Amino acid sequence: MSLFWVMIPQLAEIQEQMASSKKVIMREEWEKRLNHIRIRKEDMNKLVMNFLVTEGYAEAVAKFRMETGTEPDMDVAMIMDRMAVKEAVQCGNVEDAIEKVNDLNPEILDTNPELFFHLQQQRLIELIRNEKIEEALEFAQEELAPRGEENQSFLEELERTVSLLVFKDVSNCPVRELLDISQRLKTANEVNAAILTSQSHEKDPKLHSLLKMLIWAQNQLDEKATYPRIKDFLKATLENPAV
Amino acid sequence: MPSATVNKPRPSELLSRLTSAEPEVKVRALREVKNQIIGNRTKKLSFLKLGAVPAVAGILADSIDDVTENNNCNNTNNFLVQSAAALGSFACGFDAGVQAVLDAGAFPNLLRLLANPNEKVVDAVARALRMIYQSKLAPKYDFLQQKNMEFLISLLNSEKETVSGLGASIITRSCETNLEQKALFDAGILRKLNSLLEGGSLSQRDASLESLATVFRNNPEVISKFAGPEIGRPLSSIIDLAKDRYPRTRLLACMCLIVIRNASPHFLQDIGIKTKLIHILLELLDDPGQVGDEAPFAFSSLIAQKEDLQKLALEANAIDKFHHHIKKGSLHPRRYEGILLALADMCSKLESCRSKFLSLQVLNLVADALTDYNAGVRAAACICLKSVTRSIKNLSAGYFMNETIVIPLVQLFLDPSTSVQVAALGATSNIVVDFTTRKSIFVQCGGMKQLVQLAKSMESSVRSNALWALKNFVFQADNRLKEGVFSELTASLLSSLIRDPEPSVQEQALALVRNLVDGCINLIEFVFAEDGLILGAIGRQLQCASKAEIGIQGMYALCNVASGNEFHREAVMQLLFTQMGDKNQSFVVKFLQSNDSQLRTATVWTIVNLTCPSSPGAPCRLEKLRNAGIVSQIKNMVNDPCVDVKVTIFFIFRICFLFASLFWLT
Repeated sequence: MSLFWVMIPQLAEIQEQMASSKKVIMREEWEKRLNHIRIRKEDMNKLVMNFLVTEGYAEAVAKFRMETGTEPDMDVAMIMDRMAVKEAVQCGNVEDAIEKVNDLNPEILDTNPELFFHLQQQRLIELIRNEKIEEALEFAQEELAPRGEENQSFLEELERTVSLLVFKDVSNCPVRELLDISQRLKTANEVNAAILTSQSHEKDPKLHSLLKMLIWAQNQLDEKATYPRIKDFLKATLENPAV
Repeated sequence: MPSATVNKPRPSELLSRLTSAEPEVKVRALREVKNQIIGNRTKKLSFLKLGAVPAVAGILADSIDDVTENNNCNNTNNFLVQSAAALGSFACGFDAGVQAVLDAGAFPNLLRLLANPNEKVVDAVARALRMIYQSKLAPKYDFLQQKNMEFLISLLNSEKETVSGLGASIITRSCETNLEQKALFDAGILRKLNSLLEGGSLSQRDASLESLATVFRNNPEVISKFAGPEIGRPLSSIIDLAKDRYPRTRLLACMCLIVIRNASPHFLQDIGIKTKLIHILLELLDDPGQVGDEAPFAFSSLIAQKEDLQKLALEANAIDKFHHHIKKGSLHPRRYEGILLALADMCSKLESCRSKFLSLQVLNLVADALTDYNAGVRAAACICLKSVTRSIKNLSAGYFMNETIVIPLVQLFLDPSTSVQVAALGATSNIVVDFTTRKSIFVQCGGMKQLVQLAKSMESSVRSNALWALKNFVFQADNRLKEGVFSELTASLLSSLIRDPEPSVQEQALALVRNLVDGCINLIEFVFAEDGLILGAIGRQLQCASKAEIGIQGMYALCNVASGNEFHREAVMQLLFTQMGDKNQSFVVKFLQSNDSQLRTATVWTIVNLTCPSSPGAPCRLEKLRNAGIVSQIKNMVNDPCVDVKVTIFFIFRICFLFASLFWLT
């Protein structure tokens, strides 16, 4: 029994040691270290330009180029072509979007069965949204059913979409999220990514990867140290470490 | 405004508009056809059947004439772009479309248009040509012609990605022989491909990796020239790409490295690179798309026939990973097939791999795959079983002779696909080598009868594999089983199989007889059934044996017959001498002089059985053999390099001593 009482304070001490074996870096020290790191203005401009290009803000690209002299890694014309496609999907003009993509590069839809299926799916959704039920039925039979035949992995998604036709009150059915505008955005982003990939351009902006790296690095460091971390990326302010 | 599908013209209506005199109507119809077929295999097929391809090819041809005559430029370019794009789409991943485009004579026109000044036209045309070159039906490109090589170089040097990509795909498709590979190297193509590898875009790097692999394949000379005096620098750029962020690039780089490894013993042999390749490929299995489907095939090409790599892969938990993926279910058939074949390669040589496989209970999943709807998967499952059933330990324990495996396997004997049948027979051949008393399960589920039916197949590979399975089935089986097989086969079928036009079938039929008559003396009567049909067939076949293996099996069959009674031995003697005819040399002497040691061994053993001293007719037979020059031939073989032969010959010398008077006369 006495041995047990001897152990407890020892254990407590070990625990404290472990807790305090995490290095503590105070804000002043941290900011001093950060100040040693040099980031070039040109690099930041390139990051911004890369973001604008990837997201497709053609006008902003042109303006930013004018104001900073940063060259986009893609023709503005190409960005505008891509944006026309994205906007067409976002407005529900899927047939128009398909024609535009095919004018840009016919290989994209020919070699991307999943994307093509999602575009056809969106067309059906738009027909149902506009209560053109007869057309929708015909379209589902003529255009969507063959996709399921050609590729079994689409069958489940196909069934979900077609079930929209079954419900009288679509706004209350189990698959109503298909009618959300967010579904259009999802499809639009998919097309955008496919076009970028076909142009040998990365589909995510580099800023995206940088932020992911920051979150990951902070998570790793959390296990080893207490330090001023960034909690809110929009503000990018350093939070004082809890001591 | 939302899109509508009303008032869409029927395909036949569209087709007739393609031949309209009004350019506006024509180009609109053309664009509509193009937009309907892109991504839509079903529509491609239906338009194809209506004859759309010749119509579109016709528009392309007419537009070229317009270009020559300098007619309305914009309009013409539009026609060219749309028709080229439509033709390209017909050819995309669709062999019937490729054939139709070639039949319509569009290929030379497309080639010509590569020189067109309009960028959009060149892009569309280059894409269409690349789609054609991705198919096996593409016309063969003759690299050995000077102007063809120059044209190819100009394609690769183009600034346009679509055009340089076309150059790369021509190489990947058409380069086959070592001569062509050397010609490409001499023309500096590899250096160009390497620069695309290091400085090109994503698609250029991928295309370049594929082309390099094609030029390196089975050509150690080109590889060492490429890796050249820069001591592995070009190779290091490929190795770096194996760690690229894009999965497809990683896969293609691995495939290129594997081609180099397999062709040349000097490169990429250290354990570091071997381990790295294994890990990268196993990790690529996680990719949900086409890359993940192809990864197991690349893995197979890395480890096949190579025990050291199989061991490394085992340590890297390859079998666990494959098991994990199959367990997930609903696999794309290509991926399923690839994983099964990879498992087959893993278990082909090492018992440690087979043990791991069996301990993880993968066998049940493979048994399920035997009934898959896809023929490639079924065949791969059989091939996997064949590898795993090489485990003598488990065969002896009768592990595989159970209903879960045997019943679906026997059903595959009737599979519509020949390759599935042959693969099933291969697996069966191993499983029936069962040392327990459970062979009857195979008979009960109708397997034995099915094998006999397959021995009558029109396909020679099916016949020979069915006989192989039967041969293994009767190996040291009990008399009842053997009699069952023989009565099902019948003497006439077996003798006709011994005389089959295909050597591989002859060999297996003779081996089957060998196993049938081995053992109990009663079984030897098989060869005498129906007036000695089988014995006669053996004799005739040995007279004109086209390869050593046939002689070996035939002689061992006779050897077994000669181990019976006097009647049997006399019958064999008669066979050996009847076949001489006009020829002064018996096939026995020919066999004794053969380069094949197994054949010499089988022949001397037969002679031992014929002259065995305990039988009354032995001296007489020995005399006959001496007269035919066979004894002196044997005496010349005292220093035969093969130990089995030497030992057996000493038996014969002992026999000769026993018949001393005859010996002194020689």
